[in-house]
Amino acid sequence: MPEVPQNAGYMVAAYVVTAIILLAYAVSLYRRTGRP
Amino acid sequence: MSLARKGRSIMLTGLALLALVYVRALAFTPVERFQGPAQKIFYLHVPAAWSAMLAMGLVGLCSILFLVTKDLRFDRFAGASAEVGTAFSLVMLTTGPIWAKPIWGTWWTWDARLTLTLFLFFLFIGYLLLRGAVGDPGLRARYSAVLGICGLLLLPFIHLSVYLFRTLHPQPIILKPSSPSLPGSMLATLLFSFAVFTLLYVGFVTQRYALSLERESEVENA
Repeated sequence: MPEVPQNAGYMVAAYVVTAIILLAYAVSLYRRTGRP
Repeated sequence: MSLARKGRSIMLTGLALLALVYVRALAFTPVERFQGPAQKIFYLHVPAAWSAMLAMGLVGLCSILFLVTKDLRFDRFAGASAEVGTAFSLVMLTTGPIWAKPIWGTWWTWDARLTLTLFLFFLFIGYLLLRGAVGDPGLRARYSAVLGICGLLLLPFIHLSVYLFRTLHPQPIILKPSSPSLPGSMLATLLFSFAVFTLLYVGFVTQRYALSLERESEVENA
């Protein structure tokens, strides 16, 4: 059976980048729309 | 409840559920034997691509409806959807190369699927620049509707590019004529992620639409 590749660093990078983009956009929308 | 507040509630729910997607994907979904942990990028990359396509599809549909009815609400929605779609395509275009590097051995290749997807991103950017450049609301709506329809026409080519051209990008595993080719736990995580990204799209668009309404009323009152 082949050994499972050790590439978790790429996975972590992708998950961090996704969180940063979506959170940054959410904050940008929050700051631009009128506060309740 | 105001539209902005509704959008904010949906968005916050979506972000909370996104955290659950992270937990489920990272801790409760098995590691694929041949690709290793990098395969788990799939649970973000594919739903982000779906949301970007949904966004552009609705931009195109609302553009057609605007040209037919001249109702500015369709134009407003198309503008909101394009901005949200840009954010999701940015997620798709960053997670894709991060996944490609360990699996294909390269960050990027100019094959049909990747190039067309990059073109979609530039179309989103061009659409937003066009909206920002034209001051007259009627002209802005008409010009951007034409570009929105071009974006809609691009979507089938992106989806079918993996069948029409020789490409490194894998073929669809969900949106295909036969049943999905994924083990149950992976499919469940992917479908959950699809639902969360769709909810985030709805939250973002609702809030962005409310922002357009606010700006228009400010201009009218000025």
